[in-house]
Amino acid sequence: MAEQIEATTLIEAVQLFLSELEPELNGRRAFHAKVAQNALAIVARELAQRPQVREQALLAGVLGQDAPLDRLRADLCSQLRAGTIRVETPGLVDALLAAAQGKCAVDNPRYSTFKRLQD
Amino acid sequence: MADAASSGPTNVIVAGLLDSEVSRVEQLSGGASSATYAVDAVRADGSAWPLILQCAATGSVPEGGLPRADQARLQQLAFASGLPVAEVVRVLAPEDGLGEGFIMARLPGEALASKWLKLPEYGPARAVLTGQCAKVLAGLHRLPIAAADGIKLPAGSTAELLARMFANYRRFGVDSPAFDLAFAWLRERVEDRPATAIVHGDFRSGNFLVAHEGLVAVLDWELAHLGEPHEDLGWLCCNSWRFGVWDRPVGGFGQRDELYAAYEAAGGGAVDRTRAHLWEVFGTLKWGIACLQLGDDHVSGRLRNVERAAIGRRVSEVELDLMHMLKFGSV
Repeated sequence: MAEQIEATTLIEAVQLFLSELEPELNGRRAFHAKVAQNALAIVARELAQRPQVREQALLAGVLGQDAPLDRLRADLCSQLRAGTIRVETPGLVDALLAAAQGKCAVDNPRYSTFKRLQD
Repeated sequence: MADAASSGPTNVIVAGLLDSEVSRVEQLSGGASSATYAVDAVRADGSAWPLILQCAATGSVPEGGLPRADQARLQQLAFASGLPVAEVVRVLAPEDGLGEGFIMARLPGEALASKWLKLPEYGPARAVLTGQCAKVLAGLHRLPIAAADGIKLPAGSTAELLARMFANYRRFGVDSPAFDLAFAWLRERVEDRPATAIVHGDFRSGNFLVAHEGLVAVLDWELAHLGEPHEDLGWLCCNSWRFGVWDRPVGGFGQRDELYAAYEAAGGGAVDRTRAHLWEVFGTLKWGIACLQLGDDHVSGRLRNVERAAIGRRVSEVELDLMHMLKFGSV
């Protein structure tokens, strides 16, 4: 173990704190505490799964160029707006489907479409 | 009356608006753009008068949202036409000091779709809801546009709506290849149809009031506009409102074939399945952009809170649905 308290340990500790707090909250605050716990779970999954790495590789494959993810996203979007890349472009739909799966695995792995694609 | 706006509506303020006794004004968990209050008033004959007060809240007004006075008038038109909606009893004026809003009947029923879609006692309702939704939409779409004269309903052809949605997307400075692909796909397929009907604009499970036996009322008319009838059919079937019941594409309770057949039988006009699907893609994308907008409430500082920030992450559900539709033809 590199650190006694890893980032994920801190996330778990804050989740614990929020769950301790919950019985003292009601209404909007209690709801927001639940949302906050979910948000931390997203952060934990993102740290573990790093979906951006996969998305970067997928988009680099479609565009045939290597660049940081933000650059690749911007390039692909402007080409889609210009019509130089289209739904018929080989590999595009599969790459964007895989990238969306990777993001949804982090943001909401219980989402129906994500679960369907797992089966 | 500046105090009313800062402290919110009190029993005394609402009693003044209604010219009757009021024993309770309680804020309910509100929607994204409006504050909703339960009001217990008393009629002149002493009987209970359960009402709902809806007025403006902090945060974004949905793109293209109707002014509440116009929403109230449209809701009255729907009520007078025999559609299941809550009757409006009072439209707020600027001098009332509560912002834009109105007071309507509070009807008995369950508004939380997660409940009425799951609980066994709503089984009879779920069995008839597809037909009831088809009938409401057919009745609404059959109304002549002239019936809404004087109500400021936004209008736009299909291509104009798509262009507006794209401009809205670009406001957030976000680059989502899945969104841009869906926009490109839609642009190639949209036939620029004129607005021919009054459409509800937000006709989905989350906006139905449901009793054990079936539909009580259709809520939230603020996104109504003049448009193409298939828009309401497509929106109703978006996966985002199925609450996990993905194999019942009509709101999590019915099948598309049944909806289309009942809509045609109720006089709603012929359903073009390709066009209905196109509006499903359009609607899914529209919900994705609404997620961006809600996330932007937090990022811009307009309404900073963890719920708005977290909703921004629901964009990936939409991206996945869009890609599923483009890859497999439906979701």
